[in-house]
Amino acid sequence: MSLARRRPQNEPRPRAALADSILDSARAVILGKDRELRLALACLLARGHLLIEDLPGVGKTTLAHLLARLLGLDYSRIQFTSDLLPADVIGVSVYDRAAEGFRFHPGPVFSQLVLADEINRATPKAQSALLEAMEERQVTVEGETRPLPEPFFVIATQNPLHQVGTFPLPESQLDRFLMRIQLGYPDAEQEKQLLGGEDRRDMVARQAPALTNAELIELQRSVTQIHAAPPVIDYVHAVLQFTRGSERFAYGLSPRAGLGMLHAAKAWALLASRDYVIPEDVQAVLPACVAHRLASGEIGQREGAEDAARFILDSVPV
Amino acid sequence: MPERRIPAGERAKPSQVLWTTLLVIAACLPVMPHLRWQVNAFLALVFAVRLLGLRWPSAMPGRGLRILLTFAGVANCLHGYHTLAGQDGGAALFATMITLKLLELDSKRDLRLTTILVGFLIVVQFLFDESFSIAAYLGVVSLGMIALLVKLNGGLGEAGARPALRVTYRLALQALPLTLVLFVLFPRLEAPLWNLGFEREAAMTGMSDTMEPGAISELVVNGEGAFRVRFEGAPPDSGQLYWRGPVLWEMDGRRWTQGDAPHESPRPSELVAASEPIEYEVVLEPTRQRWLFALDMPVTAPSDAFITPALQVVARQPINALRRYRVRSVMSYATQAPSQEVRLLALRLPDNITPRMRALVADWGAEAQTEWQLVQRGLAFFNREAFHYTLLPPALGANPADEFLFETRAGFCEHYASAFALLMRIAGIPSRIVLGYLGGEDNDIGGYKIVRQSDAHAWVEVLIPERGWVRVDPTAAVDPSRIDRRSASRLLGANASLRFSIDETNGFARFARSMRLLADTLDATWQNWVLDFSTEDQLALLDKLGLSAFREYGLAALMMLAISLTLAVILLALSRDNPPQDALDALYARFCRKLARAGLPKHHHEGPRDYGRRVTAERPDLAGPVGRFLALYIPSRYSASASPQNLEQLRAQLRDFAPKEPGSPLSLKRSR
Repeated sequence: MSLARRRPQNEPRPRAALADSILDSARAVILGKDRELRLALACLLARGHLLIEDLPGVGKTTLAHLLARLLGLDYSRIQFTSDLLPADVIGVSVYDRAAEGFRFHPGPVFSQLVLADEINRATPKAQSALLEAMEERQVTVEGETRPLPEPFFVIATQNPLHQVGTFPLPESQLDRFLMRIQLGYPDAEQEKQLLGGEDRRDMVARQAPALTNAELIELQRSVTQIHAAPPVIDYVHAVLQFTRGSERFAYGLSPRAGLGMLHAAKAWALLASRDYVIPEDVQAVLPACVAHRLASGEIGQREGAEDAARFILDSVPV
Repeated sequence: MPERRIPAGERAKPSQVLWTTLLVIAACLPVMPHLRWQVNAFLALVFAVRLLGLRWPSAMPGRGLRILLTFAGVANCLHGYHTLAGQDGGAALFATMITLKLLELDSKRDLRLTTILVGFLIVVQFLFDESFSIAAYLGVVSLGMIALLVKLNGGLGEAGARPALRVTYRLALQALPLTLVLFVLFPRLEAPLWNLGFEREAAMTGMSDTMEPGAISELVVNGEGAFRVRFEGAPPDSGQLYWRGPVLWEMDGRRWTQGDAPHESPRPSELVAASEPIEYEVVLEPTRQRWLFALDMPVTAPSDAFITPALQVVARQPINALRRYRVRSVMSYATQAPSQEVRLLALRLPDNITPRMRALVADWGAEAQTEWQLVQRGLAFFNREAFHYTLLPPALGANPADEFLFETRAGFCEHYASAFALLMRIAGIPSRIVLGYLGGEDNDIGGYKIVRQSDAHAWVEVLIPERGWVRVDPTAAVDPSRIDRRSASRLLGANASLRFSIDETNGFARFARSMRLLADTLDATWQNWVLDFSTEDQLALLDKLGLSAFREYGLAALMMLAISLTLAVILLALSRDNPPQDALDALYARFCRKLARAGLPKHHHEGPRDYGRRVTAERPDLAGPVGRFLALYIPSRYSASASPQNLEQLRAQLRDFAPKEPGSPLSLKRSR
């Protein structure tokens, strides 16, 4: 980070070094979750929205908060509850006496990074207000279309379904998340370190942004320039075909899922400082990209999701 | 008239023109010895113009000149053959035309067309020569033709000659099973196509059934094989191998012919005494005659042939294709006494017997007590007097026998046999001429004897009381010191027959001889397995399969079945390999196969990097080569800018990559 500051502004830092510095900082806060951090970062670099699913207290919110800090994004948090209204998400027009007209008060969704906490606690109506904003990257309120800031990320967290008072997200809305990751309990060693260390919230607050907005947008653009050779495209296509033909799944993956997976694989290749995708990149992001789209009936059942991904990986030849 | 306009991509490149020209020359070479000299001269002229035109393009003839040349070529063929149809005239015209097309190679289409026409030229060659060496040579030319077509069609882009050759080999190998099926099962015409009436008028070289001075000399300088013989046991001494052909009775003063009488003799000919018969198999080249050559004296005839009273083996049909037969002969024998009618026939004299001939014989008759002594006197005469054996005898006039005996005294077997038989008849001993072959060359490689046209021979049989017909070879009586070896080696070269022992102490001569024998063995095998394969063999095959009742229909059905099966197998093999593979895929597949053989097969879902990691984890000793290979392979495969040198480097690395078997002590130790 300090290294980055010393460089002249006009000379772009190497992309890999940028990504590495973010990951290093994140690792110091969230212990032993290297793969999940990498996936989350890849998801954001691929301009995708991220769904973090796990039990309360494993660090979902901390992760979201941390990413917002490190990426230098302005950040707002929506705590989803069962009485949350769409207007609480997107904002409301209030009559302004001085201006003699309605004035729009933007809701928390008008932020670069929105943390939608416990998204499955809200009613479908409130959920869909957010999810529409995610897809369109704009919000239409009272006939007026307002663009959301750029970059725009949603990190949603949700609790496993079997917990009381949850509304499952419908498949169509789950499809809008590029990835779903699960954090899980930390290892014994790292948990002890966590218990002995300082408060994570303070640590997050102390983090300085590692990127400017321009650099982030530049990074996102360079993800699209990563080369995916025909064999890789073939492989992604084979995965899609396989899920559509397999009897194990009620329905196959959508083309959007395929596009997303390829995009995520490109971001993963970027994080590995390569300018081309290899099949292993696809395989690395595949579980996170497809599990929530295929095994939606089994949300919260870790084994089910991982099994489905493993099954696909083992069945489709490279 | 405007010149043809050709798009830039379709224009013929000089190198392509050169290769096409060389291909046409290569395809024309074997047919040229069979064409008239003026046609060959024309072909050579056009080749020269074409090749010079590559160096100096402005020297190429224009359209008008090309038209003129075309007319000249046709006229040249017409002048040589008086027809443009038939085997010779047609072949000459075709060769002329394809050669002229070389002057008009402007676009790639011209090149492709010419290259395909070479295929027809290759087929035409087989009208003239079916030998193995020609077939092998034309096989190479065909491969060249395919390779050129592969290049010309441009599917390989600017790739070099080696990829094109590789495609060619693959195409040829894929076509091979189908070719075999078609060869074995395709219903055959009973006679080769070129026997359907438009063959050459000139007779086949070979034994004729008449003899006059100069008739055999054409044969004696001919090194072609006449037949091959395989003996059941040890073959007799070469000097005893008199291969009996036509027997001649009638002399008209110049020419010996069969005459007419003994053919009709109803009496079966039997030997009154005979030694143990020997058995052998003969493979006779086609002669268009009915003679089957057998050793003196044949006792059993093969099926569909018979033995005449004069002990000739005669087939019921002319030998138009290669003929294989078994015969048994006895080497020592005595024949039955012939009828009086036959005796008289064998004593008949032409009307140009001169007094000095009679005087000569009268001298011998005075000295000899028995017929046999008289025969010996006659042989002694040839030995004692200054008779020369030469293949280049002086020309003889109206009375050849007289001139030969008293003036020229130089000649070869036919002169001696003719004169001797006449002298015996003057002396009152019945005699006849036998034409055939003498000796034969051992082919140790193939385990058979080959008898060539140059072994053609003529000898005499005389009728001796109590012994019947006795073979007498007056040529053998000539003093060996008077054999003109120079004429033999000049005319025969390496093909000298038994009568001229060519010096074989010379290492090169021995080498040349063994090469010649090897080539002949190949030819014999080729004959046996390929050219000889006939409808009968096909029907025998059907019989074995229990399908003989269906005949040609069974054959056709079997062929369709076999073709379908072959295609299915090829398709299956292709689909299993997941083609079309590019070079890089193929290299990676080879890399994986090598590791699989070392006990580390790639899982089908494994990407290259994961595979490399697993291999390295299990076999750290392979980390170096595997790492180097993958470090080059992965970017070549997946990145946007892969350089073509990578492919060569990968190939080189793969060549040296030889992972040890899993059973090697090293890996065993680790697994414990």
